Amino acid sequence: MRLRTPSLALALALMLPPAAAQAITVKTVQSPTGVDTWLSEEHALPMIAVNVALPAGSAYDPSDKPGLASLMSSLMDEGAGDLASDAFKQALESRAIKLTARVERDYLVVTLTTLSENADEAFRLLALVLAHPRFDAEAVERMRVAELAGLKQEDQRASTVAQKSWFATYYGTHPYAHSSSGTPASLAAIKIDDIKAFAADHLVRSGIKVAVSGDINDAQLRKYLQQVFVPLPAKPVPAVSKPAEAGKPGSHTIVRNEAAPTAIFGFVGPMRLDPDFIPAFVANYIFGGGSFSARLMDEVRDKRGLTYGISTQLVDYRSASLIIGSVQSDKAKILTALDVTKSEMARFAKDGATAKELADAKTYLTGSFPLGLDSNAKIARTLNGFQQSGLGADYVEKRNAMIQAVTLAKVNEMAKKYYDPAKLVIVIAGTPAPAAQAEKGAAPSASR
Amino acid sequence: MLKQALAALAVSGTLLVLSVAASDSAPAPAQPVSAVSARAGQSKATQFELSNGLKIVVIEDHRAPVVTHMLWFKVGGTDDPQGLSGAAHLFEHLMFKGTKTVPNGELSKTVARNGGQDNAFTTEDFTAYFERIAKDRLPVVMGLEADRMVNLDLSEMNVLTERDVVLEERRLRIESNPQALAQEQMDAALHLSHPYGRPVIGWLSEISTMTRDQAIDFYQHHYAPNNAMLLVAGDVTPEDVRKLAQEKFGGLQPRMLTPRVDVPPPPRLAESRLQFAIPGTKLPQLMRFYRTPSYGKAPKGVPEAMDLLSAVLGGGPTSRLYKTLVVDRKLASEAAAFYNGNSRGPGEFGIIATPRDGVSFDALENATDQIVRSMTMSPPEAGELERAKTRLVAEYTYQHDNQFALAQDYGTALSIGQTIADVEDWPNRIKAVTAADVRKAAQTYLLKEESVTARMQPRP
Repeated sequence: MRLRTPSLALALALMLPPAAAQAITVKTVQSPTGVDTWLSEEHALPMIAVNVALPAGSAYDPSDKPGLASLMSSLMDEGAGDLASDAFKQALESRAIKLTARVERDYLVVTLTTLSENADEAFRLLALVLAHPRFDAEAVERMRVAELAGLKQEDQRASTVAQKSWFATYYGTHPYAHSSSGTPASLAAIKIDDIKAFAADHLVRSGIKVAVSGDINDAQLRKYLQQVFVPLPAKPVPAVSKPAEAGKPGSHTIVRNEAAPTAIFGFVGPMRLDPDFIPAFVANYIFGGGSFSARLMDEVRDKRGLTYGISTQLVDYRSASLIIGSVQSDKAKILTALDVTKSEMARFAKDGATAKELADAKTYLTGSFPLGLDSNAKIARTLNGFQQSGLGADYVEKRNAMIQAVTLAKVNEMAKKYYDPAKLVIVIAGTPAPAAQAEKGAAPSASR
Repeated sequence: MLKQALAALAVSGTLLVLSVAASDSAPAPAQPVSAVSARAGQSKATQFELSNGLKIVVIEDHRAPVVTHMLWFKVGGTDDPQGLSGAAHLFEHLMFKGTKTVPNGELSKTVARNGGQDNAFTTEDFTAYFERIAKDRLPVVMGLEADRMVNLDLSEMNVLTERDVVLEERRLRIESNPQALAQEQMDAALHLSHPYGRPVIGWLSEISTMTRDQAIDFYQHHYAPNNAMLLVAGDVTPEDVRKLAQEKFGGLQPRMLTPRVDVPPPPRLAESRLQFAIPGTKLPQLMRFYRTPSYGKAPKGVPEAMDLLSAVLGGGPTSRLYKTLVVDRKLASEAAAFYNGNSRGPGEFGIIATPRDGVSFDALENATDQIVRSMTMSPPEAGELERAKTRLVAEYTYQHDNQFALAQDYGTALSIGQTIADVEDWPNRIKAVTAADVRKAAQTYLLKEESVTARMQPRP
């Protein structure tokens, strides 16, 4: 490719970071419930978005009952208090109130979306769900059948198969190892009493994180917090233990006939509150997190046409942290794609990033921050994520300055410290074709 | 479809139990076109045109200091040359491969360097390129888009490498997904020789033959200001946009375009039935697609009735399909309906149900047919219709909370021939639909001879 000079107008634009965009204003809301609550008031649309994270994630599944938290979460809109399943759903629908629940590793996240005119009813139903879920036999069986069907669907996709196996390989016997969706055998064995006991221990006030955005003020929210959270027990839920040394570096293959095998690859990252985290976050952008600006996308997709998408991200749990990536490719090309990934890791560790890469990463990461905060749903979700990570409400204001402060030396230190191909744990779902074929099938530009 | 799958690592293992996207090419979840529901009830959209034929739409959303910049071209899968399905979509990828002044890959990097995000998608009817960015960067992205509209500079190697990327995209989205493979075949069976029967991403055997010359020919006949619509949503005023657009796009010359062919849907005289046993299928599924009217073609009120029919029949856990098949009769683990009417040509109405273990396809299909018939026998009950209307009308407020979705709604509607007034009046038209209208829609359009039914058998 010939080197070309960008036009003058573009060159000028590139020199300046985007104007300091007014981020949202986040208030913490005090209430006698003691529940950690953040509010972003925004009255332009007549709606409210709420995210509630409870310490009821899949890591708390008993070791012989993986899938319990997930099965419970599927029952969160299946009736509460006096309202059986159908009556409860009609109560939601007749006022267009949306209530969802999803299980992550540490937290159960319940989202509530409502028009502000229906806020009273929305919070009333949320209170009912958290304090008096019903878990009727009919609903439990129906959701069990749906979850079992879901397992089959997951098994149809190489990406989910690879992902589940990667966590099992990496975390071994730790509670982060198993998939939140459980197994056919574990789902079949879960009893209603197990679900009720789990709810009693985990739908509790301690450790709850609440983020709210939209057409609601402090005083109104305080009233609802009382109503929703006072009835919940104040039992503490301990964080899960830290995993021991993470396991089994090397490449593991799940033999399956796949047109396009998926590889998940990962290694340990810094904990969220570790001073390494922000520099490692910037380093990850340069290496694999930055979409079309990242080295991996450049090398594996743009230059060689080996994949449609490859990326990495920094994932933080309460008790562990990961740098994890995925790539999907033709079975004759997947090993080449992984070889390029490994050699890029080694190059990154050895030579680090360039000053230009760092400057570009900073303008993107700071300039794009408001894009994730331009709707009530996104604000509630983003703030709730910050809460789950143990950050303070002032993080929204401080974040960009923290990113600006990252030096090239620090990024290079992160590259050396974390990006070691020898520590890479790889799981490939789908059988790669032999190397000889991989050579033949590679794109013309792969020879460079 | 998005050029790039930002590797969705669903680390939590959340189940995607049922995918009701009609096809790979549907842009985002098929929500109906809708309107800004600001308290004022005034239009937030302004429309004008430059002398070179570029249409411009501005939608004000001043909540955050950001903008969504979208350029929509009136070219999509329907415009793929005969024997070269997937051309419009592959060409979308090539639009990122550089111009005389912005080298290959630099466009996305420049946008990122300015704190923005960019991507593109192609449907049967249109191709759209977008950037999301801080409002003071609007001139940068507008300059980039104006540049690649006319100055694309494709090398042989760039075309061949990107063709490989698209083949990987097809493997990822279609070849490795039995349900997507089946739906692609169903669309082909449903639309017969109409271009909607061809996949937007292209048949493997056709797209793998595209050459640089064909790409350049495609560019010269479809990409020009007189075939495009610029849509800017966000913290801007129409005057800002008018001035900037004149500066960046005003000097571009219109081109002679290949006229779009509006293919009438061929007649269907019988239902189609497909039986799949695709290797890798673990979950059996019953799927039915009906060919129906769309927002692009049908008289006002008809697609709205179809939206409500879909909501009452299969739009969630209080719908008839779910209540009867999943809750009461225990024949299915999931059951839902969808309607995608956002097209210039025919729309699609679909039903998907997953039989429970031990339940035969015959039993499930008979029960499903009974429920569909119930919609033709009598009008929906007042309560269920009211709930469906409440939900659909609220949904557009929720959807327009998201600036990108807001822009996409207007853009889609305008690209299939609707007006801004049509978009903004949609909630009122939904409210005006009567129970009799819904029944009539079921009687008139849920016809066996207008449908394809597929059974997906598990196969190791």
